[in-house]
Amino acid sequence: MARFVLAVAIAIALVFPLVFSGAFYERVAALTLLYAIAASAWNLIGGYAGQVSVGHVVFFGCGAYGAAVAYSEWGLPPIAGLPLGVGAAVLLAALVGVPTLRLSGHYFTMATVALAELIRILVGNVPVLGAAVGLMGPAVPRSVWDLSFTSSLPYYYLFLAVLAGLLLFTWWMERSRMGFYLRAIKGSERAARSLGIPVGRYKLYALMLSAGFTAVAGALYLVMVGFVDPDSGVGILLSVKMLIMAALGGAGTLFGPLIGALILVPLEEISNSLLGGQGSGVTFVVYGGIILLIAVFQPGGILAMVAGWWRKS
Amino acid sequence: MRKFAMAVTTALVMAGAGQVLAQGTVKIGAIYPLSGNAASAGQSSKAAIEMAVDIVNQDLLDLGDLAMAKGAGLTNMKGAKVEVVFADNQGTPAAGQSQALRLITEEKVAAIVGAYQSGITLTASAVAERYGIPFLTPESVATNLTERGFKWFFRATPITSDLAAAYIDFLKERRAAGKKIDSIAIVNENTEYGSSIAESLRKAFGANGFNVTMEIPYSANTSDVQPQVLQLKDKNPDLVIFVTYTSDAILYAKAMRSLNYRPTMMLADNAGFNDPAFVEQVGNLVEGVINRSAFAPGNPGTIPHRINEMFKAKTGRDLDDPSARAMMGMLVMCDAINRAGGTEPAKIQAALKATDLKVNQILTGYRGVKFDEKGQNILAFTLITQMHDGKYVPVWPAGQASAPVKDYVGWR
Repeated sequence: MARFVLAVAIAIALVFPLVFSGAFYERVAALTLLYAIAASAWNLIGGYAGQVSVGHVVFFGCGAYGAAVAYSEWGLPPIAGLPLGVGAAVLLAALVGVPTLRLSGHYFTMATVALAELIRILVGNVPVLGAAVGLMGPAVPRSVWDLSFTSSLPYYYLFLAVLAGLLLFTWWMERSRMGFYLRAIKGSERAARSLGIPVGRYKLYALMLSAGFTAVAGALYLVMVGFVDPDSGVGILLSVKMLIMAALGGAGTLFGPLIGALILVPLEEISNSLLGGQGSGVTFVVYGGIILLIAVFQPGGILAMVAGWWRKS
Repeated sequence: MRKFAMAVTTALVMAGAGQVLAQGTVKIGAIYPLSGNAASAGQSSKAAIEMAVDIVNQDLLDLGDLAMAKGAGLTNMKGAKVEVVFADNQGTPAAGQSQALRLITEEKVAAIVGAYQSGITLTASAVAERYGIPFLTPESVATNLTERGFKWFFRATPITSDLAAAYIDFLKERRAAGKKIDSIAIVNENTEYGSSIAESLRKAFGANGFNVTMEIPYSANTSDVQPQVLQLKDKNPDLVIFVTYTSDAILYAKAMRSLNYRPTMMLADNAGFNDPAFVEQVGNLVEGVINRSAFAPGNPGTIPHRINEMFKAKTGRDLDDPSARAMMGMLVMCDAINRAGGTEPAKIQAALKATDLKVNQILTGYRGVKFDEKGQNILAFTLITQMHDGKYVPVWPAGQASAPVKDYVGWR
């Protein structure tokens, strides 16, 4: 049954944009997948290992700036900067993870908030990174490798492929030794340690993996949007968005972050389109209200709610 | 079959009706930060653009030669009305881009104006470029915007180099009038705005025989500016230039009062010193400070004064500099569409390229509007204003001045 649902979901994902067309909606679909990648990447450390990071935008920024620098410094297609961004993110995760992952619970979260703010201010003063002005990708596509398309469909399928890869990896990890270790750590660090699990090391692995995939999302963001500055690349709100999406769908579940993104991104884009022009800020009231309702009535996330119905029926 | 035929006929009639309706209005998209950090500026720009639409759509006889004021609607298009579709960029480049796409593909706008923040103008105009829809920014100043080789992008506002040129012309006149300007200090906040203005001022001043002898960068988040003021008091340069945001500008005005420091001549670059909050709270401590603005209401009876009154009646506030530029930008776009005589993008683009508005058709302090091949307005310029009795009045250039320049007083 579950397999059937999955097959249908994949089929819908593949043909959806071809049936339900319109440039704007195609873009919303592509953005949804992009944020689903970021939220699923966050899920590795924040969901499975239970280490709630609010500084993940830093890794997103590594990817975005890596791609931007590849163009601005060396004139390469932005996507060529992806390895640079991912490398920087993984390295940063290792450097930051060693001291901060010793902190538990809220203290780890607070450290990540501080890190994100620190990096944002730092980036705003580094000329190579465009300082406060920001960096742009190629204004006019020079070759197909710039991945600069008028239609959002190529992005949609690119993001879909990356997301599928990430979810496949997550699915595999869930079943591997690491998956069990992480769940044990999430349950109780002390108990996990007493069972002989190398807690520190596995938390670090999870953070590095999570950072690397988040950087992939960042690089893809730059390829699509073509511009990054300190606020859009390393502004803390984006971290919060990743967290909310994962929590909304169900943190620590394979499809939770994707479901969160499927709800929140279209909600945000479409409510902004319908209500934003009035300039009354209703968008955020609606957006916040829905998050609040779910948090109050279904704190386990939407997936938990669906699972509940499933069991009843 | 008959039912089918009827349905087809009905559909055709309705499509025809739609066509007629479409001829009656021209949709223009406007992307502004209506929420987020810059929301208050965005809301003000929105009000200004709505007023620009009123100016176009109504036959206003008391606005002289102002572009699009005479005649109701787009006179070359049988009086077609302009309808503006606002979109909220939420302060993020990605949202700005999404909304540009929506305005073009869903709302089918003929052209777009916006988007306040330079980074968002950059991403939003990239979409317009790909779809071949004219995009005009009334206010974004980042240099790189017009360096992208875009064919559908236009900018009406003065940029940093224009501001430096205005300052230099003004200071040359002051020097010719016998004022000593041999040493200059620049005090700037150290993020993008402050550093870029300071740098371009230093370069332009140096090239024109004005020596910047002192530079004091500081952080705008500071809670104490006494060290900077003491530094100034110690060296006492002939001219002090402030490039600040609002809360720090207020701190400077207070610190100068408490440390009893009155510079010989004091100039402030717009932003902080122009903020209504600054003028209200400490305007009486900086009597005689020189500033710049693209807009100043001027004396009763003048067109800017009348415009300001209209804006005040609508919003309860004075028309501020960026909002005035937004209003002007919208009028420039409407003027082009009117001359194009239709909404085909290529025609509007050609009309924008042929734009040639004279100084009497402008409500801001520009010398006119005429775009170069990069889309930059080569006649963009700014007014020099001065604080007279707690209010900024235009003092330069002579044609638009409503009072003579006086010496710096500070407080009384």
